[in-house]
Amino acid sequence: MYRGREGQWAFLLHRLSGLAILAYLLLHVFSIGSFIFGERFYMVIHETYDLWPFRIGLLFVTAGVVYHAFNGLRIIVMDFTGFGVAYQRQMWYGVLLISVAAFLYSAWTLYPRLVGGY
Amino acid sequence: MIRARTFTDARQQSHSNAELNWWIFMRISGLILVFLILGHIYMTFIQVSESDATFDAVVGKLANPAWKFYDWLILALSLMHGANGARYSIEDYVRSRPNRAWVKGVFYTVIALLFAFGTIGLFSI
Repeated sequence: MYRGREGQWAFLLHRLSGLAILAYLLLHVFSIGSFIFGERFYMVIHETYDLWPFRIGLLFVTAGVVYHAFNGLRIIVMDFTGFGVAYQRQMWYGVLLISVAAFLYSAWTLYPRLVGGY
Repeated sequence: MIRARTFTDARQQSHSNAELNWWIFMRISGLILVFLILGHIYMTFIQVSESDATFDAVVGKLANPAWKFYDWLILALSLMHGANGARYSIEDYVRSRPNRAWVKGVFYTVIALLFAFGTIGLFSI
């Protein structure tokens, strides 16, 4: 595998987070949309997804979305401005910082609910 | 703009035009989705518990046309954005032409069915 510098890792993480979010999106649309099959069907899926491993998984989905969103903004800045290319490394560390901060914030805020289950 | 004298030229040019349009679409939809999805996560996950998303809560929320439109916009934009992103990956990693054809065929079918399912669900309430 080619191990480039920050740009390569940014690209790889962008792809992986994008595919992971897409996989989550497909499950999410199906599970929420399943209300058209009636309350029983919906609640069976919903109660399964309410188990604690899934609830903690949502934190990682959140961090993945934040990374993908802010790295996407970084890509847009790189595409349309000259300084975006010049400062892409610094911006990537900013993106990582924001993603970690978002993860910690939601983990801190939601900790009792995610573990306690209410 | 397509300025072709033969069918082959037109096909090549329209191909690159479509590619350019998807490139632009990824930037614009991405910019909109940043607000739509971060707002969605904040309102439905950070502020509200997962166990609050019961059948009645979902049906009640979607009875409001504003949420219906908000959610449908997310559904449409994110499925197109995600499908095109996955297409980039498929074209990069599925190397043989026949494999690529059926992988894409199955994948696009799943996306189309899910889009129809979500749209019917949203507007059936």
